[in-house]
Amino acid sequence: MPSLNTFGAILTYAIEMESRLRDYYQAAGSEERARETDKRRSNLERVRRENVTEIKLEPIEGLDEADYALNLDDASAAGQQAAESTAARFYTDTAPKINVREVQRALERCAKQHAENASK
Amino acid sequence: MVKKLRNYIGGSWVDSTATNFTPVVNPATCELLAECPDSPRADVDKAVKAAQEAYEEWRRTPVLSRAQYMYRFKNLLEERFEDLVEVVVKENGKTRDEARGEVRRGIESVDYAVSVPTVMRGYKVEDISSGIDETAERQPMGVFAAITPFNFPMMVPLWFLPTAITCGNTYIVKPSPQTPLSMELVYELLDELDLPEGVVNLVLGGKEASLAVMEHPGIVGVSFVGSTPVAKIVYETCAKHGKRVQAQGGAKNYIAVMPDANMEASVANIMGSAYGCAGQRCLAGSVVVAVGDAYEPLKNELVKRASGLRVGYGLSETTQMGTVISASAKERIESMIQMGVEEGAQPLLDGRGVKVEGFENGTFVGPTILDGVTPEMKVAREEIFGPVLSIMHVPDFDTAVEVINKSRYGNAASLFTSTGKYAREFKYRVNAGNIGINVGVAAATASFPFGGQKESFFGDLHGQGPDAIEFFTDRKILIERWL
Repeated sequence: MPSLNTFGAILTYAIEMESRLRDYYQAAGSEERARETDKRRSNLERVRRENVTEIKLEPIEGLDEADYALNLDDASAAGQQAAESTAARFYTDTAPKINVREVQRALERCAKQHAENASK
Repeated sequence: MVKKLRNYIGGSWVDSTATNFTPVVNPATCELLAECPDSPRADVDKAVKAAQEAYEEWRRTPVLSRAQYMYRFKNLLEERFEDLVEVVVKENGKTRDEARGEVRRGIESVDYAVSVPTVMRGYKVEDISSGIDETAERQPMGVFAAITPFNFPMMVPLWFLPTAITCGNTYIVKPSPQTPLSMELVYELLDELDLPEGVVNLVLGGKEASLAVMEHPGIVGVSFVGSTPVAKIVYETCAKHGKRVQAQGGAKNYIAVMPDANMEASVANIMGSAYGCAGQRCLAGSVVVAVGDAYEPLKNELVKRASGLRVGYGLSETTQMGTVISASAKERIESMIQMGVEEGAQPLLDGRGVKVEGFENGTFVGPTILDGVTPEMKVAREEIFGPVLSIMHVPDFDTAVEVINKSRYGNAASLFTSTGKYAREFKYRVNAGNIGINVGVAAATASFPFGGQKESFFGDLHGQGPDAIEFFTDRKILIERWL
């Protein structure tokens, strides 16, 4: 069964992914990227807290975290690009699945930022 | 050693004088979380005295200062958001997202309370007679109390307490003995605010404490949320003892679906309504009324979606439906399903006996769908308060409205349609306090009163919004002239 099947599962996965990326960039000595990912993590925590309303809480289908596994063992430029591409794809796929516009907007912004990083 | 919970009275945590304690059990793991005292009348009396002593000073605290406490309270609730969520999940059994929704709603009530300096203003007319002016003021009244249920252990007390105290009253909460831990944590946060001693008090207990609240001459008003039989008792007892009372009771919420409804989107939303919080909320959709040709596609989609719901321990982010509150609740719900079957309903999906790996003793009831339900059946009339959705097939819109209006309850009703005419007619004709149009959980936000009609509500002023300001204040008329 797909594991990203609730609002919380998606947002929590995103928060954990950003935390892992922060640690990854810190270990790689890329402080700016680490700060950027930590800002996203913090923002996603706020989004998770503020935007869950029972009126629109519905099951989510068709997403599995296995499809968005990050390889964080490779700190090379190519490895960083691959991680950013995966993160961008995760946000691009999950944003339309959530029926709260404020959350979609936050996920779309994350997708855009990761896609920009992947293309650098 | 299991933690024995304490009352919070006069600004301190104090041992109850209770001799009996109710076990507080995690309904998924069966872990004993704490023991809740069955506080006797003497404990309630102590809390009332503390609240009375605090009242005079508190009402003289400027309203803007009172509101400042609520800003700080909100910040603390935001900081501890996920901790609050975890407590709700552990003691109640709902999912993390449902608990997040609940805590969010609670915080929205605190947000509303910070508007009290604006919304409790009075009004004035000059020269009602030559040189005489007339003013209407709002004043706090004294000690208020809430008796609150297990199903929203965080949110429901916060419907009342923040507005009540910001209006200048002092307060006592008596939460459900099944779920006292949410309030314990909330009161730890309230304790950090450094409010004057006695402004907020917590008394844990069951029937004796509840009766003491209802009968105590020092309490001016009571808010209650629970079942209809108890709401009636609360209403009558409080009225007999000269109190203001708002008593929200049970529900049997109908969801009508027209053939022109967007079926996929409608069913996704109905899932949340029927199975959210395992059906244990007063806004849960309980009977789907399929109108005409809506029946077949609706039935098929409901079964498909409901059978895919992941039932499990609420602490897992992937759980889509948690437990019911207790073994006795599970037994009652399963007996209601059996009764439906014996009355002639067909179980398209039967959640009885569902087992969750690793939580074999948890009080789980799986999503259940009963088809062929008719208005006379008990499952169509009585509140089940569990994850059971009945399907009723009617020929047309007028029959759907007729069926809905026959219910003795009137908490909520929803219509799924793409036609404005039906939506307008439904809102106009259906006797329920909360109406949803393409919304399965018609939950009023904090700045609106939470409706409820017929046997779903006893009282005049509802909880939340402008009604709360009315409930927690009295009007005083000043007629003055200067000679």
